[in-house]
Order: sequence, then structure tokens, then C-alpha cells
Amino acid sequence: MSETTQFEPKIVAYVCNWCTYLGADLAGTTRLEYPSNLRIVRLPCTGRIDFNLIIKGFEVGADAILVSGCHPGDCHYTSGNYHARRRWILFRELLDLLGFDLDRIHFAWISAAEGKKFAQIVTEVTEKTRKMGPYTELYAAGPTRALLPEAAHTDSPLKVFSGQDELRAEARKLLTEGAVKVVIGNGTRGPVLVTRPEDADKLVWNNHCTANLAMYLKRKEVKALGRPALVVKACDERALVVLEKESQFDRKDIHVIGMACEGMNVPKCAVCVLRTPRFADQVIGQVENSVPVSASTPNKLDTLMQLSRSERMAYWVQEFDRCTRCYACRQVCPLCYCERCLVDKNRPIVIDPAPSIKGNFAWQITRAFHLAGRCIGCGACANACPEGIDLSLLNMQLAKAAKEHFDGYQAGIDVSAELLIGSFAKQDKEEFIK
Amino acid sequence: MSELITDAKLRQLAAEWISAGKRTIGPVVVKDRSLYMPLQSAEGLLLNAKVRPSNSIKEFFFPKAETLYNYRVEGRSIELVEPPLPEEQIIIGTRPCDAASLPILDHVFNWDFADDFFNRRRAATTIVTIACCEADDACFCTSVGLSPSDERGSDAILLSLGNGVYEVRFITEKGQQLFAGSTETSTETGHAIEGPERKFDPAKIRAFVTEHFEDPFWDEHGRTCMGCGACAFSCPTCHCFDIIDAGPAAGSARVRTWDTCQSAQFTQHTSGHNPRSSQPSRQRQRILHKFSIYPEKFGAILCTGCGNCVRNCPVGLGVLNVLTEI
Repeated sequence: MSETTQFEPKIVAYVCNWCTYLGADLAGTTRLEYPSNLRIVRLPCTGRIDFNLIIKGFEVGADAILVSGCHPGDCHYTSGNYHARRRWILFRELLDLLGFDLDRIHFAWISAAEGKKFAQIVTEVTEKTRKMGPYTELYAAGPTRALLPEAAHTDSPLKVFSGQDELRAEARKLLTEGAVKVVIGNGTRGPVLVTRPEDADKLVWNNHCTANLAMYLKRKEVKALGRPALVVKACDERALVVLEKESQFDRKDIHVIGMACEGMNVPKCAVCVLRTPRFADQVIGQVENSVPVSASTPNKLDTLMQLSRSERMAYWVQEFDRCTRCYACRQVCPLCYCERCLVDKNRPIVIDPAPSIKGNFAWQITRAFHLAGRCIGCGACANACPEGIDLSLLNMQLAKAAKEHFDGYQAGIDVSAELLIGSFAKQDKEEFIK
Repeated sequence: MSELITDAKLRQLAAEWISAGKRTIGPVVVKDRSLYMPLQSAEGLLLNAKVRPSNSIKEFFFPKAETLYNYRVEGRSIELVEPPLPEEQIIIGTRPCDAASLPILDHVFNWDFADDFFNRRRAATTIVTIACCEADDACFCTSVGLSPSDERGSDAILLSLGNGVYEVRFITEKGQQLFAGSTETSTETGHAIEGPERKFDPAKIRAFVTEHFEDPFWDEHGRTCMGCGACAFSCPTCHCFDIIDAGPAAGSARVRTWDTCQSAQFTQHTSGHNPRSSQPSRQRQRILHKFSIYPEKFGAILCTGCGNCVRNCPVGLGVLNVLTEI
């Protein structure tokens, strides 16, 4: 017997209770034969199959994963499988960037009456996995250094923008009148929270004001101060659109000071088309000479996607190996606002809290995917990382996927658009589903 | 009289250590910064960087994930498996502000309990420090009683002569052995910069923080803090940890991981009560520990002025920027 035929793959199947599980049952009662390589985990609905489970499955040694549930229209909770389908469209793109082998992840609609299809799919998946061999590529390191040349870091000299004086005057006025209790703005060293009119001169408006101050809206200490005025650029404002749609605040409870922005000499500004805030209570300054929109920005994401799958995974192994779990990426994200993050939960532990390679992959996948269809691309996560991990690539990949698969969807751009995750369309693509 | 070594010879030595299988660690360029990392080759070693690495060497004594033991469960019996002993390691290109953290950490890890994990790594390590030739705005070693050529914690220190030649000063026997036969005797000496100007007086800080536990100052200066661990995890002296049980999926181990007083969970009680319920109170704790609690117990300051907290803070805080406001 050759070695390849001896290999028996381990396959984890996450199946819905109402359709696929009954389909499996039917396959059994009708005495259909199928390989015994499958370990079935029964869940209420495909909509309830958390993407973390896929990662967990691979972590514990699965060679392939099967997710299966009711056909579209048949969901016992009306639309769980539609939601699952939409999430999967995006999740697969994230896994692709990370170098996961998508040929080892299977999705199928199997109804309670399709015992035969169940047996057939299980046989197919098992045979395919057996041919591919054990999943040794998972989290495997490799030579990747210098595959992605980094742009040299250049400090841009300080340039004060027009509108700084007007901003200070406006802040002073709002605080004096009592219209707001705090002005959340930029200071010389970083963000400042101005609560007294006489401190309004601490506010600055220059090409170093890259922070997305919307991150302060979630902070308990800031909420306790009372009605805030928030200084935003047009790009930051996208976070407000998402946050409001997610019912994180009532728009009338915050005052928004919009700053017309020329660009800050950071890569995202080179492709920015917003420049002037659209929904602010007032807009200060004018865009005089904006940084030209450059079409030829070196795109690191494309470069990464041109690497082979194993090179991509090796790249992320090298990057995530440095992660110390300081959670700066999460803390500075304007859209990471859960009161208790999944990674902090320990009954039971969902994600290994130790900075192991498995734990770091699980954590970064969770962080990125919880922002799928929500991330506005401010890049705060990557800027905050003390280890220099380019975390925004994960979010950029998801944003790109959202744009491609969902009619140009961009989080926080169109105020009338429904939130991408949390809604679905019957015509969502499903060519990857059997 | 002094001992000199050229940059080329130094790299040759490092290459020898690497090929001899010794874990050799040094600063390397990673994106827009430098980091202390195990070296794959001596070429990548960065000795003349303007700014110090944005992590610290504590990682090589007090790893971010230290397996305390593994366990195997078979039937009703549990077998404990000791982790392997640490291998010999050399850290080259250590900044004085990193090396100086070691005697500080020694106190903590040998206070009422001798921590074998830390001590074994300490014993297995040789530290080759490089005196600083430049300081940036975030550097403040002179304010906490150190200098750009401080020898504390080092086994040997390199001082640049400026032309790719370094003077080597041996501080311990271990340091001397490492360079045995590789240096040349000379009359020339290397030098370091005088150091950044003094930015605050630690005695005044200690007086302020002990007398102003309840003070609007903390609210004023602590509320922009977002509560991440970038400062603590890149700090050479911060040493708080958590112990977690990683289940069978993670290799059945009890693991010690870094923790930070800046996270709300750090002091969260099971009841739900949190004695440090606001971010300013957590900022205060960090300053208090560094400039009052530790000095009271061990007589030194729990800070080496490396400035990593300032450079790595996503919102421009860090110890220095809070202290200069006092």
C-alpha cells in the first residue's frame, strides 16, 4: 500500500440542525455508504456558524472543513442561510489573502430530503482531501523577507492648514455658549480633549492631524464629559456614518466640526476623493491645493496577492509572529466598540489569549472580519501597531471584496445604503456553494 | 589603553555565533522602524540606527508567551512535562536603556520568589551594548539617572570611534570571553553623546504622585489614553503578567503572558467591580508604579528613559509627556 492511500483525512463538518443534519440522518437510514472521515458538529443554522469555528477546526488538525445547511429560501429562521452566504463571500477573500487553501473549505446546500447528495458531497470532499494530503501548509513559515519592498518612511515637515484659527474660534464659542462640553480635536502631540474655552488654542489643524478622532466616541471617560464636538476630516466622517447606522449614537447628540482637507502625505490621501466633509454641522476651511489623486500608487495588497498561497501564508506567519497582543489595533479603531471583546472572554476561551501563532492568526482574523463591510480604511490599526504589522492590508482586502461583490459598496460613503453585514440579497453570488 | 574592534570583525563574530548555533539577537530593520529580533544572518544587524528599536529586550528573558509546563492527560492520570531549558543567547547592539532594565527586573523576579524561568534565561545570556550616538525627542535616559553609555546590565559595551571602529569595554568576564582574541589594543577611545537634556526631576515626580493620588491632573492628562498595551509591552521594565491555561487545542500548556495595567480587565473583579474603573486611574497607576511604588520597595526607578512609550503611543501620550506636565 502506498503512503498516499494510507492517509485518512480528518474532515470537520459544521451543519445546520434542520436540513443537513437530517440529510445525514437520511443517508444513514437509507443505508447509503459514505466515508467515515467526517466529524459532524451540529449547529442551529448556517447563519450561526461562526467563522471562528473554521479557524478552530484547522487549529485542532482538520484537513478540510465542510459547512452545510438549508437551500436558499428553506431556512427555518427565514434568512439565516442568506446571511451566512453573504458573510462567506467576504470571509473567503480574507482567507485567500492570508494564504489559506480554499480548496479545503467546502460549502454545500443539503436539504433534509437529500441523503443522497449528503453522501455524495462527503465522498467528494474526502476523496479530494485525500488526494491533497494533510494540511501541512497551515501556519507554515517560509522565506518571505524582502518579498514586499517597503516604501521609505519620510517625515513630512509641519504645514499648518488654513482654518486653524477659525477652528479655535469655533471651539471657544461652542464651549463658552455651553453648546458642547468637550471639543475632541488634534493637539501638537496627538489628540486633545478641550473642555475649557481658554484651552481652545491647544487645537491645531495641520498635515500631522492624521488621527481618526471618532475613536473617542466609544470611550466611557469621554461620554461622561457631556455633549461632544468632534473634529473630523471627510475620511473620518465615514466612521460616523457607520456608527450611526449601527445605533451607536444619535446624530443630534454630537456636534460635528468638519475640516476641509488637502491631504496629509500618507498613502490613503493619494487616492482620496472626499476632501470636504459632507455631513458636518459646519465645515471649516477650503481645499486650496489638494494632494493630486495618483493612479499609480504602489499597491501592496496587489503585490501580496501575486505571491503564491504558501508565500502569502509565510508572510503573515512572519508578521503575526511579532504580534504581542497589546491590542492597540483594537483600541484605536473607531468601529471596534464592543464592551467586552471576544478575545477577552474566557468562559470558555474562544481565541487563545497567548500570543502564539495560532492565537495570533485567530485574533487578527477575528479583528479583521468583525470589520468586514464596516472598515472605513482610516489605517489607524496599522499606524498604532508598535511591531509595524501592516494590519490594514486585511481590512483593505475585505473592503475590496465588498466593492467587487456588492455593487461598489464602500462603508460610510452612501448614507442611504443598508449595512453590508446584517442585510442580504437573494441574488448574492454563490458559485462557490455546491 | 583600549580594545578596538571593526564593524566587519564584529559582524564576522556575529556570523560565527549564528553558525555555532547560538541564538544571536540584534536590531534589524522592519518596515519604518527597527526591532530586536533573532538574527538569521549578520548582514541584517543594524548598529548605527538613529532611533532605538521599538520593542525591548525583555522579550528574551520574559517572553511574551512562556510555557510554564505542559501536561498530558491519560485516563485518570495527569503527567506534567517540563519545558526545555533555555538555550545560550547573545544580544548584540543592545541600547544602554535596555541593558539597564535587567538589574531592575532582577529585583522583581527574585523578590519573595526566585523565578527560575527568568533567572535561567538571564544566566544563559550575554549582553553586548552599544552606546548611543544620537538621541531623539522621546529619549530621556538622563532624567532617570542613566546615560547614553551606561554600563548597567551589560557584559560588554561598544563605543563608536566613528569610522566603523568600536572601542569594546569589558564589564564582566562573560563579556571578555565573547571577544577573546578578536580585538586589537590601541590608545584611541570611543565615545557616546552627552545625552538628551534632563526633562524632569524624578524626586519631584515621586513627591507629586504620592501627594496627589486624587487630583484633577490625572483626569486631564489620562483621558485621551485609549487603553492599549503599546507602552507597557514595548517598555523594557514593565513586567506584569497573566497566567492562562491553554487547552488541548493549544498544546495543553500553562502559559505566562504579558499583561498591562492599562487594560480595564487587569483589575476587574469576578463580582464585576473594578477598583480602577477609569482610564485616568490606570494611567496614574503606571506612573505611580514606576516612580513611587517600585522606588519605595527597591530603591531604583522602574524606568530607563528609553522613550518607547512615547514613540509607540498611538495618541501621543507616554510617560514623558505626562511627566513633563507635572
